[in-house]
Amino acid sequence: MTITTQSRPQRWDQPFGSDMTDEDVERLLSIPEIQAIEADKFPSRISLAGILRNDARIMQYKAGDIVIREGDYGNSAFLILNGSLRVVLAPGLPGEMLGRRKIQKKNFWQALKQLWTQKISPEFRDVQRYNPKSGLRETKDPGSTHVFLQDVPAILDSNKTAILEGGSLFGELAALGRTPRTSTIFAETDSELLEIRWQGLREFRKYDQGWRRLIDERYRQNALKAHLGATSIFSHLDDDDLQEVADHTLFETYGTFDWHLSYKKMQGQDRIEGVKDEPEIARQGAYPDGVLMVRAGFARVSVQRGNGSQTITYLGAGDFYGADEIYKTWKGEPNVSLKVTITALGYVEVLRVPTKTVEKHLFAYWESGRQGGTRDGNPNPGKRRRIQDFFDQTLAEGALQEWAVQERFVNGTQAMLINLDRCVRCDDCVRACASTHDGNPRFVRHGKTFQNWMVANACMHCADPVCMIGCPTGAIHRSMSGGMVIINDDTCIGCETCANSCPYSNIRMVSIRDEEGQHILDPQNHKPIIKATKCDLCADQITGPACAFACPHDALNRVDFRDVTWGGDIGGQ
Amino acid sequence: MKRIWGYIVIATLFFVLIWVWTLKVDSSLNYPEFVSGGALFFIIFFLCLFNIRKRVPFLPLWPAHKWFLLHTVAGFLALSLFWLHAGVMWPNGLYVQILAFLFYLTTLSGIVGLVMEKVYPNLLTRIGLECIYERIPRDIAEIRNKAEALILECTEKTGSDTLAKHYLETLGWFFQRPRFFLNNIFGGQNAQTWVLQQCSILERFLNAAERDYLDQICALAETKRKIDFHYSLQKMLKNWLLIHVPLAAAVITMVVWHLIVIQVFFN
Repeated sequence: MTITTQSRPQRWDQPFGSDMTDEDVERLLSIPEIQAIEADKFPSRISLAGILRNDARIMQYKAGDIVIREGDYGNSAFLILNGSLRVVLAPGLPGEMLGRRKIQKKNFWQALKQLWTQKISPEFRDVQRYNPKSGLRETKDPGSTHVFLQDVPAILDSNKTAILEGGSLFGELAALGRTPRTSTIFAETDSELLEIRWQGLREFRKYDQGWRRLIDERYRQNALKAHLGATSIFSHLDDDDLQEVADHTLFETYGTFDWHLSYKKMQGQDRIEGVKDEPEIARQGAYPDGVLMVRAGFARVSVQRGNGSQTITYLGAGDFYGADEIYKTWKGEPNVSLKVTITALGYVEVLRVPTKTVEKHLFAYWESGRQGGTRDGNPNPGKRRRIQDFFDQTLAEGALQEWAVQERFVNGTQAMLINLDRCVRCDDCVRACASTHDGNPRFVRHGKTFQNWMVANACMHCADPVCMIGCPTGAIHRSMSGGMVIINDDTCIGCETCANSCPYSNIRMVSIRDEEGQHILDPQNHKPIIKATKCDLCADQITGPACAFACPHDALNRVDFRDVTWGGDIGGQ
Repeated sequence: MKRIWGYIVIATLFFVLIWVWTLKVDSSLNYPEFVSGGALFFIIFFLCLFNIRKRVPFLPLWPAHKWFLLHTVAGFLALSLFWLHAGVMWPNGLYVQILAFLFYLTTLSGIVGLVMEKVYPNLLTRIGLECIYERIPRDIAEIRNKAEALILECTEKTGSDTLAKHYLETLGWFFQRPRFFLNNIFGGQNAQTWVLQQCSILERFLNAAERDYLDQICALAETKRKIDFHYSLQKMLKNWLLIHVPLAAAVITMVVWHLIVIQVFFN
């Protein structure tokens, strides 16, 4: 019998930039920002040179090229090597200028017109639409096409901007925090940038004090205070107190940024094993040492039952845990410990506000009789249940919630949930979707089921949209109005990055056709031109999602799993 | 459920209004059939609108589930108005008899469809497997190929053809295409019993190695049985409209002609 062998996969088997040379690394090691890094602090297996070689790449941008767009999700930061960049200050550039789709709801007559303007062949595209004016500049690497601004002088005249010169670092907070970019930055002159993916950035922060200080200080200055001020427990604090809380808050990250890659492999794994593999944030029975606030990602909340763990709920961005336990200890109650175990579902960024700080700034406020939000877990009292509410639920009552957490459907804000006890499989939803989307439905009425519930393969418009990471043109983006994740067909280059990233396989690549139904071909290689398609929640239709609107049995609803009360009403059912 | 009771109350009030109106017209020695007929025509026309509504899902014409509830209630209202209009269960005259026959058939098909739509989804869910109707032929072909590959492997590895012969004589029939259609649509268990029987009668003729293959074939048969169940019920759910809609079209055509004739006669 022949034994198949393969060398063990290593971290840097797939470098970030394929054409980084030794000369490039040498050059980078000589620039002041990198020179300042203490290379000897890095372990030999993760050397500084290795990080530069494998977790970074040198990118060239022409004048006018957009480097990052406001609202985009990205997993890398940029260090300016040469050239000058401009950051567009508030209110920012209009979406269309950034290569985004302008959403305009159809009026009644425009909606009616679809009756006779709909083409017989599916996925018809007018190729005249895709012209150079769409603002795409191809680079030698097909996966890194740039969107460029048409008239830079006019943009500079009509918008407030700030200059970023050589040596400036930007994009690190969004990359590490998995949050949307807060502003648009474009190249004012031809520029050379070092793009560092989040793994490399994480190592810089871990092993180099200077970078850690820089990144942490920037986060404290730019984002943390505003974030704390927006939470229900600290919203009562004034600027000085908020600053004090921010100064004492610890940052922690758990899990892997690329959780979506391992998610598919994890499917079919034993549920208990799934919990065991997750990085632990807090352990049931441990001493409470601070309030845990989820800043990004999701965390599983479980309790020990018999020989296993029962998932009782989950925490998402803005949720917190631990205040109640600390409060009881503060009031003198003996032996107070954490009642739940919290583990990372994929990637989670946690803020830990130490006990002393909480006692000083929160409990005194509570004692004065004024309540700062709820004490535990739920920033929206009255809307969602608190963690304590889940303690008494039976295994049967919690089974559905556990399934939703296990399958990561909790990530969805507009998941397509079908009640199979009502669904007559008539496919009216599919037909309605097709009739509003170029004759081709944007979802498959099939998916994972639990009891009488099915989550169909339709874009869930995730809270953590991993599909948006890595889109070279920003064609897939979150709409500023409505928050849905949509694709701009004009700027989609069919690279499949989003479709491959979607952990739920809800993005489909389609080959586009001309008026006669023939595939539109690339003149260079005669291969069909493909585009990414997915549910856009019928953003331009007056009816809202056509699927739900067309269901004659009210079996189909778009739901946010955070608002679903299992066993109760789902979409009025 | 709350919504449908609201619609039922409205429909009842509408019927009572029309009924009182016909009595009033009758007492004034006019033709009450004009009132009940007009109301019936209006309701039948409204019933037909549901089909048109389904074809324009992009128009803001109320959610389809509300239309469905109204359609259901209006269907029963139409039947009540039909009896009020005709005055008898079965009218005289060939034309109106054909019209009544088609109307009753349409109503009956609608009621049967409604019952199916309320009962079948639950049965489909309980079977524990979901499949898309259009993919069923492919699914069955895949199962058949797997079963036949197992039979070949069993024959090659064990040197015995007992299982292969049983497959050719009996089991092959089951794997060929969807079976037990009639039994399935009435929620019967014949398919399950048949699969169990065919698997168990063979067991004592097989050795341990062959039994492993039989177990795998039986598992495939069980999956196939569930797919067959889906096929039968989904076929009924999809096809009853192929009876109901053409019948409704025939009714509306005859009603329009009936109206024209009445108008011509009275003018």
